[in-house]
Amino acid sequence: MNRQNETILKVDDVYLSYGHVEALKGVSLEVKRGEIVVLVGANGAGKTSIMESILGVYQSRKGTVTFKDKNVTNLSADKIVRKGIYLVPEGRGVFASMTVIDNLLLGAHHNLKNAKAKLTYVYDLFPILSERRNQIAGTLSGGERQMLAIARALMSNPEMIMVDEPSIGLAPKIVSDIFKILKELNKEGYSILLSEQNVYKALKLSHRGYVLETGKVVLTGTSEELLINPEIRKAYLGA
Amino acid sequence: MEIFIAQIINGISLGSIYVLLVTGFNLLLLVAMIIHFSFPIVVVLSMYVSWIVLGLTGNNIFLGVIAGIVSAILINIITAPMFQHIMKKRGDVDINSTMVLSMGIGMIITDFLSHSVNSGFPIAFPDNLTGRNLGAFFQIGMISISRGDMISLSMGIVFVLGLFWILYKTRAGRAFRAIAEDPAGAKLVGIPILKTGLQSYAMTGVLGGVSAVSIAILLGSASPGLGDQLGHKVLAVSIIAGLGNLKGGLIIGILLGILEALVQGYWSGTWSNSIAFVVMLLAILIKPKGIFGIKL
Repeated sequence: MNRQNETILKVDDVYLSYGHVEALKGVSLEVKRGEIVVLVGANGAGKTSIMESILGVYQSRKGTVTFKDKNVTNLSADKIVRKGIYLVPEGRGVFASMTVIDNLLLGAHHNLKNAKAKLTYVYDLFPILSERRNQIAGTLSGGERQMLAIARALMSNPEMIMVDEPSIGLAPKIVSDIFKILKELNKEGYSILLSEQNVYKALKLSHRGYVLETGKVVLTGTSEELLINPEIRKAYLGA
Repeated sequence: MEIFIAQIINGISLGSIYVLLVTGFNLLLLVAMIIHFSFPIVVVLSMYVSWIVLGLTGNNIFLGVIAGIVSAILINIITAPMFQHIMKKRGDVDINSTMVLSMGIGMIITDFLSHSVNSGFPIAFPDNLTGRNLGAFFQIGMISISRGDMISLSMGIVFVLGLFWILYKTRAGRAFRAIAEDPAGAKLVGIPILKTGLQSYAMTGVLGGVSAVSIAILLGSASPGLGDQLGHKVLAVSIIAGLGNLKGGLIIGILLGILEALVQGYWSGTWSNSIAFVVMLLAILIKPKGIFGIKL
């Protein structure tokens, strides 16, 4: 698993439009194995669009997505999930009317054989989910839902997890917990593509970052570089 | 008291048929995104197929039952490509268009049944299927339950339980419920939407066949207008329970069956439909979004 510096995901010149609205105008980026890469940008910059086009939710108009040296451009989302990419959607995307365990099993929908072992693994990681396994997900707190969404991603046996705006609507303490979990997961070998409004925290956590504006990458570099970049400091860090 | 108990039992067996039909309708609506209010009409067509086969085989029950179930599955397979086309283009096509397709299928079937089968007269199922000639299955005082009632009641209970077991305990059922709650979210977590939609469509075919046999045994007859009548009730039950609410449909379906049976027992069978609709009208006036809430 630890073949460092090997590119696991490569997005090359991807264009995506919703009707007449161009959401992505030639985005290129890559994630190396074992990296946490953060996407930074205002609302509407295209962070979610990038994740959804990688996942194959929308067909991109142009460009290619390569995962583990295989062209996965415009495969359907369920096929992408089988390849080892899983999205933790913005707003968690937890199924509120279903139990915690049902939500977890949905993550393993394509691979139920190993579900038991996976359940033990995620319960170990998130004991609170084990306690609430038979509870309806709609009754969970925001932080617990985020944990459930991440745990569901782990159930799918992914190699890369995309996490879209995990901190939205959560108290600072919970956000720190979630970020700690992401760091742990990364240490275990998962590659992570993160989109985040909390730029400071995200850059502190990640290895590299891409700054997006209106569907284009305008800046990229290591997180250390980005943290001291004057434009970034002015636009996102309030300095 | 004895009439009351007898009618409750009758009501549950009638209600279980409504539950099968309503759940089929809800699954199509939620998972396959098809508004198929002619689903009960398709079921009545299967009853006719079963009747024809019974006539041709000298009332061979086994073949009659098989014909009812197989024909429902076949009709389902034949009509699937039309709906599938709409399902594929879900983003671009309004799901209301499936309603037009359903309406068309319903009209053609009803027209066909009223012109071409038995000169449009109601059909009666043979005694060896319904068990009418054998008298009561058991009788305690005034409670008399026929063999047919007993069979359709047990079929109803077994299949409703089986159906809800599939919905709540299996992989496919979990995917059905996920799509029902949030189709876009289900896609994001890697559930194959089209394939699962087709699975739900196939399952309603089997449900339809089972319902056809069960209705034939319980009512003992069918007419071209039966499908419309059932269609109206299924739509009403589904809306009163809360459109798409599976557990709500289960409860309201059973309650409607019991209500009708009580009206038949204490007042008059000919009024049971009207009274059922008056009560349902009141329910929808009091709870416009359905008693258990819409789940769309």
